[in-house]
Amino acid sequence: MGLTRRQFLKWAGVTGVGAVVFNGCRVPDHEIQVQSPVELPEDLVTGRDNYYATVAQVGSGSEGLLVRVMEGRAKKVEGNPDYPLNTGKHHIRSEAMLQATYHPDRIKSPMVRIAKGGPFRAIGWPDALERLTKILGDADPANVLLATGPVRGKLADVTKLFAKDYGAQALGFDPIDQHVLRTAIKNIYDQDVLPDFDIAHADFIMSFGADFLGTWIDPTHYMRGYGEFRQGEDRAERGHLVHVDSRFSVTAAAADEWKYVNPGTEGLLALSMAHTIVTEKLGDAGAARALTGGADNHLSSFSADKVASQIGMSADAITNLAHKFAGTRGRALAIGGGSAGAHTNGVFNLTAIYALNYLVGSVNVPGGVIFNPAGDQSQITGAPIRDWKAALDAMRSGDIKVLLVRDANVVHGLSKQLKVTEALDKLDTIVSFSSFLDETTARADLILPGHTPFEEWGTDTPDVGPGYRTVAFQQPVINRFRDTMAFGDVLIRTASELGHAMPWESMRDAVRAAARDLHSTNRGSVTQPTFEEFWKRSLERGGWWDQGDTVSGTPTPPVLPRAAVKAQIAGDAKVFPLHLVPFEGHAIGTGQYAHLPWAQAVPDPITTVVWTTWVELNPKTAESLNVKQDDVVTLESATGDFISVPVYVNPATPPDVASVPIGQGHEQFTTYAAGRGSNVLDILAQAEDSDTGSLAWASTRVRLTKTNVRVGLPKLEGIEEPRQLPGEPVIVVFRPGEEDDSHS
Amino acid sequence: MATQTKPQSATDRSTAFKWSMVIDLDRCTGCEACVVACQSENNVPINEESAFIEGRAFEWIRLERYWEGEWPDIKARFIPVLCQHCENAPCEPVCPVYATYHNNEGLNVQVYNRCVGTRYCGANCPYHARQFNFWEPVWPEDLRHQLNPDVTVRTRGVMEKCSMCIQRIRRATRSKTPSDIPDGAFNPACVQACPTSAMTFGNLNNPESKVSKLQNDERRYHMFEHLGTAPTTLYLKQVDTHGA
Repeated sequence: MGLTRRQFLKWAGVTGVGAVVFNGCRVPDHEIQVQSPVELPEDLVTGRDNYYATVAQVGSGSEGLLVRVMEGRAKKVEGNPDYPLNTGKHHIRSEAMLQATYHPDRIKSPMVRIAKGGPFRAIGWPDALERLTKILGDADPANVLLATGPVRGKLADVTKLFAKDYGAQALGFDPIDQHVLRTAIKNIYDQDVLPDFDIAHADFIMSFGADFLGTWIDPTHYMRGYGEFRQGEDRAERGHLVHVDSRFSVTAAAADEWKYVNPGTEGLLALSMAHTIVTEKLGDAGAARALTGGADNHLSSFSADKVASQIGMSADAITNLAHKFAGTRGRALAIGGGSAGAHTNGVFNLTAIYALNYLVGSVNVPGGVIFNPAGDQSQITGAPIRDWKAALDAMRSGDIKVLLVRDANVVHGLSKQLKVTEALDKLDTIVSFSSFLDETTARADLILPGHTPFEEWGTDTPDVGPGYRTVAFQQPVINRFRDTMAFGDVLIRTASELGHAMPWESMRDAVRAAARDLHSTNRGSVTQPTFEEFWKRSLERGGWWDQGDTVSGTPTPPVLPRAAVKAQIAGDAKVFPLHLVPFEGHAIGTGQYAHLPWAQAVPDPITTVVWTTWVELNPKTAESLNVKQDDVVTLESATGDFISVPVYVNPATPPDVASVPIGQGHEQFTTYAAGRGSNVLDILAQAEDSDTGSLAWASTRVRLTKTNVRVGLPKLEGIEEPRQLPGEPVIVVFRPGEEDDSHS
Repeated sequence: MATQTKPQSATDRSTAFKWSMVIDLDRCTGCEACVVACQSENNVPINEESAFIEGRAFEWIRLERYWEGEWPDIKARFIPVLCQHCENAPCEPVCPVYATYHNNEGLNVQVYNRCVGTRYCGANCPYHARQFNFWEPVWPEDLRHQLNPDVTVRTRGVMEKCSMCIQRIRRATRSKTPSDIPDGAFNPACVQACPTSAMTFGNLNNPESKVSKLQNDERRYHMFEHLGTAPTTLYLKQVDTHGA
């Protein structure tokens, strides 16, 4: 049917009029706004908020924080822009600490066990303190062990002084201690404290095993530098990152190049690179002379062709890395740690890695390793496993009869092979000062629950400072939420009761004493004529730091070893074909944050898995073992111990590796942690680094057996493996030099 | 002492502010500080294990990871995904009750007490930025002390999504003109937390703001450009110098 001119004009007219009419009927923009609830909750809220500066120890890291407090409740954690290490940014763990304060399963008051093995009964603080004094008064101090998690600043001073005056042994606990790193730094740089890495100003970074963008030491601080390393406005060129590791970590994902090496050969690779740099005269001649003792053939046993097969890289690839490292136009920086130090040859590996910085002139200069002044640093660090084995033996033999424990969950953090619970059962008394009923505290006879970090006084002298003297102040940003008492205050009071009065009456007093010392220097970030004014200003700023108080000079490099120290891997490769690479949980750490729902629910960046433990397998390895995603398998080590975990098929996992996160497998520790996943620490061979006695946690082989069980792995990603689609990638990649026509 | 200026009318504000975010993927490490900061600021419900198994986890901003290549030449690429605050938002015209609309500051706004839960907006969002409250969100009594009093706790049957921390925008801009607000003076929680400063937030109507200048960056791109949604959120491409 044709359309006549008349019909066309009629329809066009109707359409035009309709368009005008309907447009006129549209709800006017202002009406939408008028009807919108412009009086949003923030308009209706009564009361005023305040921001208080404080500091939190986040693993080994130190984060200056501003906490928003309203009506007496802490609402939000933000980074303190003034604090030199995190400059306004913060880690997931700092945020999640809010949930520790308001945790529904937090211990609400002091408790005593009515009888051995019986239930707990709530008691008051006078009673609790009296009982503690009696326990310590009756005990022989030589039979008392005071165990804490890593502690820094004034609380470390108070704890050490208490132990010294009373006569007890003090021992720090951390499932992954940093003694190997500290020893290597002492060996190679003659420094007593860990140095900073000037990532922001480096041009080429070679990282060996240190997941410094994920979980290693102080990720927030390192990430601050990483952003500038990549796209800093003042940079001439984007920095280049090479990561050497036996697992595909967050740092490996960020790297321009990820190099897989056979576990335990990281030091060999570093020395082979050093050999190339020295023989081809690519680096600093003076440093090369010192490191080799002037002998041209000193490092000859590490030539690339001799060690390539051991390392699992081609000789060309090793030489190429050495050329890139030494040939960088700007500053090259070598960082080592994590799994590279977690072998029986850990100190050898890290010493070799850090020696590379001498060859490229990156020691104590911008863009390289920056030394930190030892000044105020006081801390109790996690003791090596060797010391903990001795302590457990002492418990069994009766040499230790009383255990005082604070945030040192040895039942979870030490392997079941060490029969920790059996040793604890031999003790006469366990007193816990923890805020939560973890596996160790659950065995206590008396609990004097401590404050959470937002409720107590303290200072922090960062484990890794910014290159200059820094003291952070921790202040209570809210009143205590439960009937708890600061651990430091309990020690100060008890010391007084026992006749060993400390120079301070409270933790606040101890912090003020530290502030007085800083005030008397009359320099640094806060200077005021009166102490009270100084106290007020430094609390407002979150601490005091002195950019003029640095370490100058470069030490003389020591002579490097001529021969390699080989890593001893537990388990016959024919029987136990997979190398077990445990790694710290992204947010829950080694388990100390497993009770916090935000930490549990944040997806692992690589796998997106949450709330549980899994094992990462290469697709081909999984296929050869006839296992699929979500299949539950047992992982068994040569010790005969095993765990059951579901499989996550990870295309970036090396074929001979099984990676498992640490941190789950709690039997207690609140409803959010208990009964989830498995504790991979239980199947590790209890091998030690030969120099320090630290746990060689990356030196175990395992075999895998399929079970008939399948579970749905809780994870953010869907069923299909998310892959970039050719032609329509979600993440568009810019390759310098290639033509780019995808601009919007 | 600062003098109070007369609050501007909505028409005035429309020319004053156009909020935008730029995310530099070359700085992003996938740490997810943004994810938890957002959950804390915006009273996003706690995601229990079952929420992930059912595919109903609440994350106003989430980190997606995509694989490229095969072992050993493999890459994991990260991208934080949030509401893109599209100029041509597919979620807006399908809402029968005007619960979601584009405000005059460039934001895609969700009005909770208008929402009747049709979920048309969620179905129409190509970025999966919207989450629906199938159940009443529950916090243990003690944990409720942490909730942000500035932000509504949503109820069952309501759609929610990134608001660009509108409560912070309102607080910072109330009774102020753009010249009173220096660039970067305030930020949404995710931007504030981001350790690598991969995220930048600001006013596009201020030509001197960082977000304005980044609009011309050679690495700029919009997610799903071909859909024509005209997102306000801009990404800067990740740089790959593999093997260089």
